[in-house]
Amino acid sequence: MLYHYIYITILLILAVMLFACLARAIKGPRIADRLVSVNMMGTMVMVMIAVLALMLDEGYLIDVCLVYAMISFLSVVVLSKVYIGIYEEKRFKSENPDAGDEGGMSDGSI
Amino acid sequence: MGVFDWVRLIAGCAFLICGLVIFFTEIFGVFHFRYVLNRMHATAMGDTLGIASCMIGLIIFSGFNFTSLKLLLIVIFLWFASPVSSHVLARLEVATNENLTSHCKVYTDLETLEAELEEEKKEEENEMGGEEL
Repeated sequence: MLYHYIYITILLILAVMLFACLARAIKGPRIADRLVSVNMMGTMVMVMIAVLALMLDEGYLIDVCLVYAMISFLSVVVLSKVYIGIYEEKRFKSENPDAGDEGGMSDGSI
Repeated sequence: MGVFDWVRLIAGCAFLICGLVIFFTEIFGVFHFRYVLNRMHATAMGDTLGIASCMIGLIIFSGFNFTSLKLLLIVIFLWFASPVSSHVLARLEVATNENLTSHCKVYTDLETLEAELEEEKKEEENEMGGEEL
């Protein structure tokens, strides 16, 4: 019963912190700010899932947490690459406006 | 509860509180700094040390079984993933920010940076020598 209260307290504190992260993600002036705070939210949600797994005594929730970590990492990398591509395409179009739709994509190197 | 249970409870709670304090520091840093490349510095701490501390606390609560092994696996995965995602985010910022030089110094080649560092070192040595004399 004592452990139950400890887990509930940790979950409540993490939930409050998650809203602070969300405020940063909404406020962030640049796209990199938003991605950084989304990455931070992902880390906190991982801890929340792990606490829930111990609280409900369900071992498989840890697997969900592991998959969440991988997808969070993948989403940050893919969104960064996509935004670099969009920016380069926009710059290419503004530099030579009479060129067609082709070209201007990033080469995909990290 | 026996003595071992109390020790386990106190050690686990200490690690968990440590992790929560590190998460709070992370949020404070994110709101305190003014630029993304500074903010990234604060978030990298929570991604590695904060989650590691929380997971160690949960491992102590859970005991020695397969669940704690998987919790450890998450921490080790994040130790590899967090630097890579920080690197990609910094690259995004440098590639898309047009007035980057108003926020930080940019060195286009390594030689100028090394020359500047050498000059700073010499100035510091001169100042130290002046104080001793």
